[in-house]
Amino acid sequence: MATSAVGGETPTLFLRNATGLVRGWSVRDSMIYACMATNFVTLAIYEFAFAAPAFPQGQLITSVVISGIWVSFLVVAYTGLVVTIPRAGGDYVWQTRILGSGLGFVMAATGWWFILWLWAPIYGNILSVQFFEPIWATLKWTWPGGGAAWFGTHNGIFTVSLITIALAGLLVSIGMAGYARFQKWCFYGGLAGFAVIVILLLINSHATFISSFNLEAHKLFGISNAYGATTAAAAKAGYVAPHIAFGPLGPTLLLVPVMMFFILWPNWGATLYGEIRGASDVKRVFSGMFGGLWITVALTIAFLLLAAKTFGWAFYQDSNQLNFLAKGVLPVWPYPVLFAGWLVHNTAFQVILILVMSLWFFGWVGTLFLSSTRVIFAAAFDRVLPDRAAEVSEKRKVPFYSLVLMLLPAVGLSAVYAYNTTFVKYTYDATLVIAVTFLFSAIAVVLLPFVKKDLWRASPASRVKLFGVQVVPAAGWVTIGLLVFNLVEWLSNDNYYVNLHSSLIFMAALYALAIVVYVVARIVRRRQGIDLSLINKEIPVE
Amino acid sequence: MKVFFATDIHGSEVCWRKFLNAAAFYKADMVVLGGDLTGKVMVPIIAHSGYWKVTVRGHEHRLESQQELEQIQRQIRNSGSYPAIVSPDELATLSAEEGAVDRRFTQEMTQSLDRWLDMADGKLRGGEIPCILNGGNDDIFEIDDIIEQSPCVRFGEAKMLDLDGFQLVSMGWTNPTPWNTFREAPEAELARKIDQVAGQITDTGRAIFNFHAPPYGTGLDEAPALDENLRPMHGGAVMKPVGSTSVRDAIRKYQPMLSVHGHIHESRGVKRMGRTLAINPGSVYGDGVLQGAVLELNPKKGKVTKYLLVNG
Repeated sequence: MATSAVGGETPTLFLRNATGLVRGWSVRDSMIYACMATNFVTLAIYEFAFAAPAFPQGQLITSVVISGIWVSFLVVAYTGLVVTIPRAGGDYVWQTRILGSGLGFVMAATGWWFILWLWAPIYGNILSVQFFEPIWATLKWTWPGGGAAWFGTHNGIFTVSLITIALAGLLVSIGMAGYARFQKWCFYGGLAGFAVIVILLLINSHATFISSFNLEAHKLFGISNAYGATTAAAAKAGYVAPHIAFGPLGPTLLLVPVMMFFILWPNWGATLYGEIRGASDVKRVFSGMFGGLWITVALTIAFLLLAAKTFGWAFYQDSNQLNFLAKGVLPVWPYPVLFAGWLVHNTAFQVILILVMSLWFFGWVGTLFLSSTRVIFAAAFDRVLPDRAAEVSEKRKVPFYSLVLMLLPAVGLSAVYAYNTTFVKYTYDATLVIAVTFLFSAIAVVLLPFVKKDLWRASPASRVKLFGVQVVPAAGWVTIGLLVFNLVEWLSNDNYYVNLHSSLIFMAALYALAIVVYVVARIVRRRQGIDLSLINKEIPVE
Repeated sequence: MKVFFATDIHGSEVCWRKFLNAAAFYKADMVVLGGDLTGKVMVPIIAHSGYWKVTVRGHEHRLESQQELEQIQRQIRNSGSYPAIVSPDELATLSAEEGAVDRRFTQEMTQSLDRWLDMADGKLRGGEIPCILNGGNDDIFEIDDIIEQSPCVRFGEAKMLDLDGFQLVSMGWTNPTPWNTFREAPEAELARKIDQVAGQITDTGRAIFNFHAPPYGTGLDEAPALDENLRPMHGGAVMKPVGSTSVRDAIRKYQPMLSVHGHIHESRGVKRMGRTLAINPGSVYGDGVLQGAVLELNPKKGKVTKYLLVNG
């Protein structure tokens, strides 16, 4: 039998060669995953177009830093969960084990499945404004009717949402093997694209940008003095962009719930941790998520500072404000990548830059929806959903039924999103519902030392202390604070559009649906003689 | 008939105790443990004059009393490791002498199994509740005789056991793994072994396969893809099927009513393959949770009427 010793000259344990004893995955890989999840292009830049108009006195950079610090505690809390119960399934496993089966199912179904139906058209809209619109505009394509502007129409948004859903379905069907490799290349390609933008914004002055912007806007859209027209239109709309500063703190804190749209997801890969020895390494798990989070924060701040230097902070904010009011001077979404590309007066370069930066989108969109199929499978194996939900076709390995459960409602919701002018505003619903799921995981972290005493005592996370205080449960409390603060703001402040009557009904319907599915499953299975309450009931040891 | 099936407890004493209590807890008529009973880790407890020293999960403990020693031994056993009390000289020998760790591992594994079987006697009412144990690819061959000789459990390997009209055939061998473990064989040899044991079945309609390796490409065999250094690729996001094609083909050929598997801990799931219900309950032995499957079998119809995957 092959064996090995751990601990140097005085071994602290001996291992024999046995199945599953793998080395921990590289921190770099999990860092890339966390960085793609907190996607600073696809999500952050998209979100900034709505952030400033909603809270004109808030400071973006300060709120990004505050959010980064606050979400770091979520990273610590999730690290504690991962190293204590390192199981693929993440929130679903932790919550069902610590809080109970019913609550675990409702939180996982809403946060990792139902709400993804809304993320489909949101991602469709992002694909529209960061890919199709700028490409069409740059190449001056006029088909379909209206050219680039068509992608902002009801039909355009719906069509691109369908493309996004089809793409997600295709990527899930293909499986992660090929996609993960592509994803890594996307990350490096996306970073290279951003490096080009950094150089462009560094070497060009504000004056050069104004002349380039005016030149390209005229060439592509026939608009004269577009830069001046933008600032004038913003002034006419009564908007005064704030200067870059640290505060005021109040309006800046109100931007934190906005930042959650992109910064709340460094733990997205937590659902993937399986029985891997490296996952018991607190430092390794923490470093992956924390590194990914702070790379995103650093990239975001670098982008905002460079935008302020070269675009002009007021102009960047004005563009976003006008787009929000549907009074934009340009007929396309104010995509900073498009603007940066205009500093080089070459169509091929501009198109390539947009394509390269779109890798941030294409490298992530498949993974986003993969989580839904995992929850559907887990629920089917737990007999909450019919067995068929977990069926995979033998020949092509396509999870047909779970794809239907995931994608078909997304098509319906995309139609509502595209053709209902109110529903399109419910962007933060998509963040809120997942935040609620995270909140219950944070509660699970706090309860873990009391509910699963032996497991906690044996966990390396229990020995991470600061001034004698266990860090992980403390981080759980801070995470609860973060998520409760966000929930209170989302639900009480009109500027997030979450507390609109129909928005609340929409979210309540998702929770009601999850509860109904669980209750019906309990009743049906009981009639079949299957007691679902047994699933997580612990067998006595003695 | 109600059956409780679990697998891959890898030396976890808390899981073994739960397994012994599972029949009463789930009101099962029979319990089956599908292989990989033995642990992978041995933790040396160094005996000094008047105290002991041990490092558990990176944390060094100095144990001053017998009570503290027993407590830490229990903690180590519950996590699936073997506490080995050694003198500083013995530890030096283990580190330096070729084969010394092997011998000590074997000693700890067999002694531990002896102790487990003693516990089983009381819990299983001296064999009144049928209990089938089997080896897995990670189990040393020395455990086979120990299980065979136990009066309260039955050893399933390579046999057809008649259980109230159901015919259970077992095999702990698997297709090759990157770890080159004890009971591995190339697919062709595995197919021969399967045919030898499955050939004993006289009624496939009431047959149960208890094969440690899950069938290839069924979702019951998905493990993280590894690179040449046994490091999970792409942050562990990429899973790949690692089950046995021989097992898959045998299920298709014989179409037993039920086929239970283990081996791939993270691949908990259920798959229908023709008339066969194939199940891998997975394993999280390190958490002290006994994952298993509660199965209700109908002898008249020769089918699984109910199943539930549980985390006991």
